[in-house]
Amino acid sequence: METSFWGSLKEDINEGYNKLFGQNWPEWVAGVFLAILALMIFLWQSPWGIAGGYRNWGDWMYFWMGVTETRPDIPWMNTMSVTNFGLFFGSFVAALMSRQFKVRGTSALEYTKGLAGGVLMGTGAAFAGGCNVGGFYSAIGVFSMGGYAMMVGLGAGAYLGLRYLLWEMDAFPSKPYTAPAESSKKSLDWSKVQPWFGGLFLIAAIGGALIYDSMDNTQIGILLLFGLLAGVIMQRSRFCFVRAFRDPFMTGEAIMVKVVALSLMIYGFGSAVIKWNYLQPDTMGVHHPFWIGSLLGGLIFGFGMLLSGGCASSTLWRIGEGHTKLVVTLIGFSLTNAMVLPIMKSHSIIERLGSGTYLPKVVSWYLTMPVFAFILLAWVIVMAWNEKSEKFVAF
Amino acid sequence: MNVESITADHVLDTQGLSCPMPMLKTKKNIKTISSGEILEVIGSDPGSKNDIPDFCKKAGHELVGETEENGVFHFFIKKA
Repeated sequence: METSFWGSLKEDINEGYNKLFGQNWPEWVAGVFLAILALMIFLWQSPWGIAGGYRNWGDWMYFWMGVTETRPDIPWMNTMSVTNFGLFFGSFVAALMSRQFKVRGTSALEYTKGLAGGVLMGTGAAFAGGCNVGGFYSAIGVFSMGGYAMMVGLGAGAYLGLRYLLWEMDAFPSKPYTAPAESSKKSLDWSKVQPWFGGLFLIAAIGGALIYDSMDNTQIGILLLFGLLAGVIMQRSRFCFVRAFRDPFMTGEAIMVKVVALSLMIYGFGSAVIKWNYLQPDTMGVHHPFWIGSLLGGLIFGFGMLLSGGCASSTLWRIGEGHTKLVVTLIGFSLTNAMVLPIMKSHSIIERLGSGTYLPKVVSWYLTMPVFAFILLAWVIVMAWNEKSEKFVAF
Repeated sequence: MNVESITADHVLDTQGLSCPMPMLKTKKNIKTISSGEILEVIGSDPGSKNDIPDFCKKAGHELVGETEENGVFHFFIKKA
């Protein structure tokens, strides 16, 4: 009896493991989970963003280079930096557990594009007051109208970026890149040990959160866990915001448009509950320069994300999977964002590009939810029509 | 179908490229071949694992075979 019990338990565990790490999760599941996570981050601290963490890392790079003299926040005490660490770590763990981690090199052209994409995204995020997460996803979720302006900009930028990539394919037909041959004499079978390393890192990350807790920094420790969950979800579902803006022009596919819209629908209704009840100050997170800053920022960011092949969030989770191109992107993003934002602030440029505009203040609370839902539905309907008609497809 | 028995008429190597380049190149390449011909796409981006079959389904091309070894994918697409 005992052996059969343990045997069937082992079978169940194996089956569960394969479901979680053997195949990709459906995108819509990830969309629902991410909205819940974003709401929890909002309730726990403030709306979720990524670029602020990159900026903290950029500040440090300048500090180390001796360019600046003021010591930035410590990265492991800066909240956005910590959720970013969590996201990276979560993706790394998930990639290991699904045997997908591999250091992936690429050609010089691709590295250059990675850097250029990072520089553009860093600039765009400075203009828009946030990246695809802080400036678009969270902005719309907390009813900051800059989110809609950035959405339009991201779409236009993605279209231009795609046109550029099409031109580039003709202008610089790249030679196939072959990864350096791996030595056949390996001391251990990497694909077999990967999941064990993944498990160890997962335990380490949870231990990290407990250390924060024991040092009376529970708030930051929990943010590390939220980031970790976001990283696991994003890697397992290959959650890519870029696709919501690019695919309608590339293949016509609208799946990510539907997923992001669904996710935002949950985020928005949840944040309405939070704001209506003043669980958090009702205009918290409403700071995006509506509309010129957000629109221009979206345009620049959108073009950049096509060059690098990852936005702020997918840059992080793809690094966790071993893509070296996106390490270059991250460095470009961090350095540029940390440079452009202070310049814009010191010349009071942002004020001229717009100011935080709160949807309920513009259309009243009665109309906020109908307007909010209508815009998302209209986006889905237009893109679903395009999926059939391929009217927007660029080639 | 046993992939060993498939002979590709055209080969597209996208190794080292990451999303969206493999997909873009596949879509562009398939336009240049004739209906019924088989394009073999080689790639190393884990994203291709879903993207290419999804694209085939949407565009009506037939995915006649696929293999994966050491993180390198081979897709055999028969143009509709």
